[in-house]
Amino acid sequence: MNEDELLRAVGRLPRSIEPPRDLWPGIEPRLQRRRHWYWIPLAVAAVLALVVIARSIQTQPAWDVTMLAGRPLLGNTRLAASGRLRVGDWLQTDDSSRALIAIGHIGQVEVKPGTRLQLVAARRDDHRLALARGGIDATVDAMPRLFFVDTPAGTAIDLGCAYTLETDSLGNGRLHVTRGEVEFETGPRSSRVLLGAIIQTRPAIGPGIPYVEDAPAPLARALVAFDFENGGARAARTILALARAQDAMSLWHLLQRVDPTLRAMVYDRLAALVPPPAGVTRSRAIALDSRALEGYWTKIHNIQFRRIVLRGVREIDPRTGTTRRHE
Amino acid sequence: MAPPDDLVARAQAGDQTAFRDLYRQHVGRVYALCLRLTGNSGDAEERTQDVFVRLWDKLRTFRGESAFSSWLHRLVVNVVLNERRTTGRRERRVALAEDPDSVVGAQHAAPLHQSAGLSIDLERAIAELPEGAREVFVLFDIEGYAHAEIAELVGIAEGTSKAQLFRARQLLREKLAG
Repeated sequence: MNEDELLRAVGRLPRSIEPPRDLWPGIEPRLQRRRHWYWIPLAVAAVLALVVIARSIQTQPAWDVTMLAGRPLLGNTRLAASGRLRVGDWLQTDDSSRALIAIGHIGQVEVKPGTRLQLVAARRDDHRLALARGGIDATVDAMPRLFFVDTPAGTAIDLGCAYTLETDSLGNGRLHVTRGEVEFETGPRSSRVLLGAIIQTRPAIGPGIPYVEDAPAPLARALVAFDFENGGARAARTILALARAQDAMSLWHLLQRVDPTLRAMVYDRLAALVPPPAGVTRSRAIALDSRALEGYWTKIHNIQFRRIVLRGVREIDPRTGTTRRHE
Repeated sequence: MAPPDDLVARAQAGDQTAFRDLYRQHVGRVYALCLRLTGNSGDAEERTQDVFVRLWDKLRTFRGESAFSSWLHRLVVNVVLNERRTTGRRERRVALAEDPDSVVGAQHAAPLHQSAGLSIDLERAIAELPEGAREVFVLFDIEGYAHAEIAELVGIAEGTSKAQLFRARQLLREKLAG
């Protein structure tokens, strides 16, 4: 057979060949099954979508709010007894109202009269309020750096503590720590505020140098002048002249903020009031070596805690943190 | 039975009765192609069923840009070739002596005529071709595909398609001459 004969034979092949048996019975059930299967994933997806939406509504971050006095305004609604503060919601109190906010499961915030604040974040690792004006008393019992309050002058970062934070309508603020420690931060500038200490804050400048609550008024005024009124070297010298051993926390901050030419003077005054711990040298401290500064801070921190916690129980030497012996 | 276009439209709308009529109209062509591409009646029956199940799913994508029979034809080729690629199955030709009924051409519905004997011999010879040569021969010489199309469908170079065709024709001539 040559190729032409082959191709002619191919041309005569039937185009259609009936199968030896009816194949439809094997096809029809698969069509029905497939049609069902076509809808099952869609139905499952729809149910899942509904579940996810319902759960997201239920679990949408929100904190409980309880009215303490008056009729605080939660969003656009007057709070009768309690409500839920959701992310983005504002809570406002007038002159005669107060409210209590549960900070997730880590603490609470009492909202003072004349306050306006917003819930910014309610995540496990970021519990955040924005305080536009007014005052709050915050109490947190959690790991450090889980609770934050944004203000016009910066952010108060909880380090495991209780504090009062106030902000006026111009954004000027004041932070008073009553337990633990708080860091107040604005960009690169930060202040560490220990138990029993206060800072002033200003918008666009940030936190001032902290001072203990029993600091002499002239010292507090000198610190304000240095921080917010361009007091410069003159204010710094006034601070050094007025500082006591109890004010070591202020001098530790001042050391890092004065003109470098004044650092030695600040260090010497600080060392004279509270001797540096072992391992902290003058040169390293003046060079703002972080390890030296941290070592010094630990000592100042411990003295301040003993001084406040044992107040009325024992007299603590503010130079060393040890109990004073009376002759 | 309704006109083909009407059947297609109704089947597209989910009318299973129309789809069954569509099956009746086209099953012969589909089975013939499956039989020649697989070389085995058992495989051809399975692939034919697969084709119609696939057609049920794909029917809504048919937009009438070509004749329905051409579109279906391409679907058959794709189903058969995809099945071969995914399962990696080797050709399972059945020995003529062992199972004469499964031999390609043994069940022709077309009436026998003078050349019927040659046709049956040719069907058998095609079924016995090596897989690659058979596919190219069926697609080119029987179904009228171009080498470029075959190359794309089968996943081979165009030159390979031509070589397989040459080989297939040569093998067939030898078988039919013997």
